[in-house]
Parts: sequence; C-alpha cells; structure tokens
Amino acid sequence: MNKIPVIIDDKSFEVDPHKTILEVCRELDIEILTMCHLKGLTDIGACRLCLVEVEGINKLLSACTTKVAANMVIKTQTERIKKYQRITTELFFADRNHVCAVCVSNGKCELQNLGYKVELDRIRYPHLFPQCEVDTSHPWYVMDHNRCIMCTRCVRVCNEVEGAHNWDVMNRGHQVRIISDFNTPWGESSTCTSCGKCLHACPTGAIWPKAIVQGQLEKNPGMVNELVERRKMKL
Amino acid sequence: MTAHTTHHHVHTHELSKTDPRVKLLAAKIKKENHKPDALIEILHTAQNAFGYLPKEVLIYIAQELKLPPSRVFSTVTFYHFFSLKSKGEHTCLVCTGTACYVKGAQALLNKIESQFSLKPGQVTPDNKLGVAVARCIGACGLAPAVVIDNEVQGKVTADDLINSINGKIATI
Repeated sequence: MNKIPVIIDDKSFEVDPHKTILEVCRELDIEILTMCHLKGLTDIGACRLCLVEVEGINKLLSACTTKVAANMVIKTQTERIKKYQRITTELFFADRNHVCAVCVSNGKCELQNLGYKVELDRIRYPHLFPQCEVDTSHPWYVMDHNRCIMCTRCVRVCNEVEGAHNWDVMNRGHQVRIISDFNTPWGESSTCTSCGKCLHACPTGAIWPKAIVQGQLEKNPGMVNELVERRKMKL
Repeated sequence: MTAHTTHHHVHTHELSKTDPRVKLLAAKIKKENHKPDALIEILHTAQNAFGYLPKEVLIYIAQELKLPPSRVFSTVTFYHFFSLKSKGEHTCLVCTGTACYVKGAQALLNKIESQFSLKPGQVTPDNKLGVAVARCIGACGLAPAVVIDNEVQGKVTADDLINSINGKIATI
C-alpha cells in the first residue's frame, strides 16, 4: 500500500492511508490522551480528549474518528489543546462522585492517571454531586454509577465483542445513565451472559467484581483487542 | 447462555390479542417487515395508540424486532415525544415561552393548580387530565397559548381555560 506524507508536530512522516490520526500517532509513539477509545472497539469520538489541530480547519478534530489524509499538518501539543484537555478532565470529575481514596480502582484508574497527566490540582467547576445508584444485584459484579464517566466502552464491548447487548444508555444530558435491559437491575437482566468483559473495558472503578477491596482491582482492558485479533486469525 | 436463548426469559404480561391497540401495533410491525430500523416509527404508533409506552409494549416490540431491550429503552428515553408514564386521557399543554410568559402563562398554571391540584408533569389520580409545559410552541402571536388534546387555543384567560378543560373531560 502506498504511504502518504503527513506532518505531525513539525516532523514529517510517511504513514498508511485509511488509518485514523490516533492510530498513526500511537504507532509513532506520539502521545494522545483518550478515555472512550479502547483498541478493538468502534471509536465514537465522545470523550473529546483526543482533540488535535489540523491546519486549514478551524475547529479541533477528534483524532480517533478522523482519518489521515495526504499532506495533513497535525498538531497534538498546542496550548489550545492542552486547555481543552484540562477542561474536559475537570468536567469528568465534577460530573459524578469520584473519590479516589475509597475506590477499588485507586492507583490503577485511567481517570486518575488522566488527572495526573494534565496536572489536575483543583477543579474550577462546581461539583454536581448527583444521587447515583450502586447496583449490587449481580451475583459477581457491581455497577457503581457514581464512578461512571459515560465512555460507553462497556456498552460497545457487550454489543460488539460479546454480542449480548445487555448495556445501553438512557436519557440525555446530565440524566444519562448506563442501563441493562429496561433499566432492570443487572442481576435480573435477561441478556447479560456474566462474561465480565465490561469490567475489563471500564476505565474507572464503575464496574468491579465483588470480593475486591479498595485499591486491589486488576483490570486488563487489553484483553478486548486480544480477543478481537484472535478471532481474525485463521486456524 | 447466549443472547438468543435468554430472550425467552423475559416475563411478558400478556398483551391481549383482541385489544384494538395491540392489533394496530401488530399491523404496523408487520407493515414494517419486523425491521429493527423501523423502531422509531413503531414506537410512534404505540405511543399514539396507548398514550404512553407500558413495559409490556416495550417487551413486545423488542421481541418482534429482535432488538436488545436496552436499545429500545435507550431510544424511548432519548426522545421527549415518548413517555413511560401515562400523560392522562386528556392533556393540557401550557406554553411558557417568553411571549406567553409575559402574557400570563403563570396565571394559567396557577389556576390549573388551584382547580385540579395539578402541577406541570402531573396527572390526576383518575388519569383523566395531565398538565405539561412547553418552552415555546411557536404561536407567539396567540400568547398566552395552550394546547388541549392537540388543539391550539390562543389568547386564553384562566376562566376560558378551565371551561375548555372541563368540556373536554366531560366528553370523555
């Protein structure tokens, strides 16, 4: 396949066409922050953390849903981008009730790591402190909506990889919630196969197995892509 | 367990096959060839037939279209047109857009509250009347405007409004 020339952060590269800016940057070890992206799942450009500047286009574009084009001039580290990454991160924390000290994910959390990455030292927006449910109805797993950031990685892994489509999103705006079936308690779901892939896909401590204590959670989000790749292999 | 077999576990409060509303819904689903992409049109038919979307109807639609329950529920809760609770046999929608607000929409709502003990979004215990507000129905020249059972009435006074509502409730 013919490679195409692009310029990323003032350096020239020859890259594969048909790939997204995010894929290209990851291969070149250029850091782009993401939250809703998980390799192996369809990208939806929801979290707005992977925004990049492309010369000739005024608005910022999400790297995960924008394909590279010949002679594209991409910037990933400008002040404008850093400003938005910071705002987005602060809004994640202000939207629900994220308390790292009492969380199963403490120390291994993608949201917490993002906070460190953008050097979050305070949150300029008022916390909404919504009343969120903790669904403990499933025999093995817990869904804590207080820690959910609505990345919908659980929804996509359940639909695209497991094929069960137990999860989806209800309502809109600040009222959005992840639901199973007809907003049924998870343990009473008719579609859940209890496979546990949503748990590994979840970037925070929103979905976790019972019998885990604070800070002890080990997740393996990479298993999603491993599964997807193995299914493509010919025996 | 696979997604296919587990669908049978859904408990259906049997929808009556002789109910004309169910017949209408079944005909619509047949007309759309049970296509999952026709979900919104089919929900429209159900909403209009039942006045709201009871859980049994959602289960029925999900099974007929072979759609995951959560996908159906997601669609229903995304659009304001669909309602999971009964809006009442008769509905009174009071416009609270800027023009109507200036022309006394609040006085209309106060009168409704004192007369029927109803706040916006509520339904009378006998399910006869439901009251809702809209931000602007685009009839600013008719301010204050209300919509009673899909019929727009303009420049209404509080007394006019109570009379029309009573008239509607009396006719069933």
